[in-house]
Amino acid sequence: MEEARRMIISEAAKCTYCGFCEAVCPTARLGPHRGYGPRGRLAVAAHLASGGAASPEALASIYSCLTCRACTLKCPQGIDVAEVVKAARSLYVSGLARPRVSFTVKPRR
Amino acid sequence: MGAAEDLARILGRDKVVAEEAIVRLYSREPSGLAAGELPEAVVFPESAGDASRLMAYAYRHGVRVYPQGSTTSLSGSSVPEGGVVVSMERMDSVREVSVVDSIAVAEAGVRIDELNALLAGRGYMFPVDPASASVATVGGAVNSGAGGMRGAKYGTMRDWVLGLQVVLADRDGTVMRVGCRTVKCRQGYDLVRLIVGSEGTLALVTEAVLRITPLPENVVTALAFFPGLGELAGAAVAVKEAGVQPYIMEFMDEETTRAAAEFTGAGFEAEGAMLLVSVDVNREATERAARWLSETMRRAGAASVYTARSMGEAEEKGLFAVRRAFLPAQGYVAERRGMRRHMVYIEDVAVPPSRLVEAVEEISRLGDEYGLLHFMGGHIGDGNLHPSVVFDPSSPGEAERVEEWFLEVMKVAIRLGGTVSSEHGIGTLKKKGLEMELEALGAGKALGIMAEIKRAFDPKGILNPGKVV
Repeated sequence: MEEARRMIISEAAKCTYCGFCEAVCPTARLGPHRGYGPRGRLAVAAHLASGGAASPEALASIYSCLTCRACTLKCPQGIDVAEVVKAARSLYVSGLARPRVSFTVKPRR
Repeated sequence: MGAAEDLARILGRDKVVAEEAIVRLYSREPSGLAAGELPEAVVFPESAGDASRLMAYAYRHGVRVYPQGSTTSLSGSSVPEGGVVVSMERMDSVREVSVVDSIAVAEAGVRIDELNALLAGRGYMFPVDPASASVATVGGAVNSGAGGMRGAKYGTMRDWVLGLQVVLADRDGTVMRVGCRTVKCRQGYDLVRLIVGSEGTLALVTEAVLRITPLPENVVTALAFFPGLGELAGAAVAVKEAGVQPYIMEFMDEETTRAAAEFTGAGFEAEGAMLLVSVDVNREATERAARWLSETMRRAGAASVYTARSMGEAEEKGLFAVRRAFLPAQGYVAERRGMRRHMVYIEDVAVPPSRLVEAVEEISRLGDEYGLLHFMGGHIGDGNLHPSVVFDPSSPGEAERVEEWFLEVMKVAIRLGGTVSSEHGIGTLKKKGLEMELEALGAGKALGIMAEIKRAFDPKGILNPGKVV
């Protein structure tokens, strides 16, 4: 788990926040906020991996990803967001990201 | 009670998010700048009515409001400092397209590429094309006064916005329309152009009436590599002297070209400084234009020239790929050099195209003098340069050296009769530069006038405070 945590933080640190990934992400336009897109997910994953609280919207961000990797094709840094998302999910199910809260993945429309 | 709770009650719970993990996503931009004090919440208006209720509340309670599109800004103009962020992303409808009137009416959150995909179906386009157009929004482009690769031919946002719907920072959150639906429009002082490029400091933009123009019938492209910048500039001059106004004319210096070609794995010899020229033509003129472009490049001293007779062919051959790699190639070089962390700082000065070679040479020399890893490219057609440096912000003294370099680059632009910001805006990063430029023009009073205008629009100073003036 320590390795997953380190991987998340180092991958998220590569993100320049250009947002080009959001143009191709199938969920980015459907969600209620930027957390439903790749650059948002990377930052949310880093937040969780650094000990930030697992809030409902943060978890919805991580669990709304389809892990389709369309974003990686657009990313100037070649970040594999799907792998980061999977690692963040593993932190949560293993109980390392707390607290346990109920959350809903909800499209805006 | 806090603003987040109040606004959730006024607008509806689903339009306000106050969780820290999400608020943080709206507190930084690609410039590397981030909020010192986190905003209390992000608010998502879904109509001008929502925006109006929000602004009325903010005015009455003195809450700072930071408007955002897709936050692709590079000048610090979209970074909040406390207050609330207003994300326009949910106002994303194209309300109207009229080919007869040559206009499109779009809400602030419509992405430029989405608008263009819609317009292409009618044989039209919106020609302002910032590099971030895939995600950049109409509202963000209005506020930043965006430009792009087609700037030399089509200009920037100020040439393409006919009218605006805005919400004022007053007691009622007044919704106001300014400008026209016609190209010719004399409506007293030009408030539309005052708001275009105002970086969210004057009014909250909710909708824009945009000019549109027919797509060119065909576009011919040449990618040429020159032994030096002198020859490259000569080619650009030859194109202009022939009476041709290129659709796109871009360049990168030798070292930047090498890095970009390596990064993309370009399937052709990319040695020397790169010039990319596209010309829009009638279909019947394709062959003649392609031959002329190629010959013009060769006569000016190009060592190699690659041409394409349509946009499709140019994409297939990867002619645009090298130019598009301008930014990512810099991160690639930084990683290969083993930089633990790196930041890319992109400058945005412009000089009259006739002074471009001088500017490029001086700016490159500055990069060497300051011992920085520097790159150079830009829009040669309109004189807009994007010199940039890649550095490790954690390395001692490095950030200070970059800041000094930044100021010196702006001084070069001013000395050569140029400007410190072409299309990225002033934000927080260029306030000093704006002052220097106005002083050099003998327009010391202009800043005071701008501050008065700001007060007239936003008497309480709640709209994107700390930016521009």
